[in-house]
Amino acid sequence: MLYRWTRELHLYFGLFVSPFLLLFGVSVFFLNHAKVAVDRWTSVDTVRDVRVPASLELLRGREAVDRAREMLPQLGVTGEIGFTRVVTATRHFVFPVSRPGMETTVDLDLDARSAVVSRRATSVLEAFAYLHKMPGPHNVALRGNWVWTQGWRWFADATVYLTMFLTLSGIYLWYAIKAERRIGLAMAAAGAVTFFGLIYAVIS
Amino acid sequence: MPSSANASTGAKRRPNLETWNRKIHYYLGLFFLFFLWLFSLTGLLLNHGQWRLAAAANARTETRFERGIEPPAGEDDLARARDVMRQLGLTGEIELPAAAQAQGRFDFSVNRPKDASQVKVDLSTKRASVQHFQNSGWAVFRIFHTFSGSRFNAPGSHRDWILTSAWTLAMDALSAGLVVIVLGSYYMWFRFKRKNLALGIAVLAAGYACCALFLQSMWP
Repeated sequence: MLYRWTRELHLYFGLFVSPFLLLFGVSVFFLNHAKVAVDRWTSVDTVRDVRVPASLELLRGREAVDRAREMLPQLGVTGEIGFTRVVTATRHFVFPVSRPGMETTVDLDLDARSAVVSRRATSVLEAFAYLHKMPGPHNVALRGNWVWTQGWRWFADATVYLTMFLTLSGIYLWYAIKAERRIGLAMAAAGAVTFFGLIYAVIS
Repeated sequence: MPSSANASTGAKRRPNLETWNRKIHYYLGLFFLFFLWLFSLTGLLLNHGQWRLAAAANARTETRFERGIEPPAGEDDLARARDVMRQLGLTGEIELPAAAQAQGRFDFSVNRPKDASQVKVDLSTKRASVQHFQNSGWAVFRIFHTFSGSRFNAPGSHRDWILTSAWTLAMDALSAGLVVIVLGSYYMWFRFKRKNLALGIAVLAAGYACCALFLQSMWP
């Protein structure tokens, strides 16, 4: 009974999470080997008469991000705001906005109330890599300021929990097949030696 | 539960695609078990910087020292950085600054999962100033997730330490293995679950629909 249920759950949880595993797996090749010129913009537009929230240059952290988000519809931009930066000398307010398929930088002149919006369209693989890295470890207090990033965090976590279940249930299912135990143990041992050997070499 | 007799009988038959596919599914899964656990758990830590454990991983010990060195020798900045590292007894992945070096200075950083050093050489006084960061155990664990020595959005960054290349190869192998395991599982499911194919199709479609929903909604 336990074997049957484990096998069924292994199968159906595995099928559900499989597209996410493919996305995370394929994007690793991009993250490890691709090179992208991030300063080659696809388009650069100027938007005038931007309604700028009061005292925007004085705000910091999440509050600044929230106020910057209010301006996005005027600029025709949507996505996750990475951070905000005030260039005091020139009174410019700069922030990047990213989403799979598009990287945007907004450079707002606070006095002229005009914004230069620079866009860079990304490839599908770079979009996968973006999802792979989201929400990520940086600017924790700001991250998840776009509803889709918040949602994606749930699915990224679910992928991890389901992967843990699949590995543990997979061990149980393999161990139940006596004829496969010897070679399976050899493979697990070979994997362990490779894994701990590499870790040891890198940190020693 | 399958009996060993059944499995043995199956083993005596000439192995076909189904048998090999099943064996590859087990064996790859078992070989990459520890790698999968590492990347899964570090993925959680990376996604939850607010967790106490993840915050603890940010703690690192800083030390500084200065030492006199011979002028760095070599044909390019990478060779010169290696020469300075040899003199200072440092090891790891070299990261050169994106901008050109200032006149009379030679700066770079050296990174490994367990530590990082920022090296600033004053060529006129022949002195190297080193800011050394020792990472905590949890930080070392977490860094392995991203330790590739190359960033796709920094075209100037390249792997130059053999152990980074070895670890990157392991990451690539895990990813390729994962793709094979997933595609192989589709085949296994299709072959062995024909009586209840509709449920599998529904679950698989739900997974792809969730993925597609995010991509479509987030895509410009």
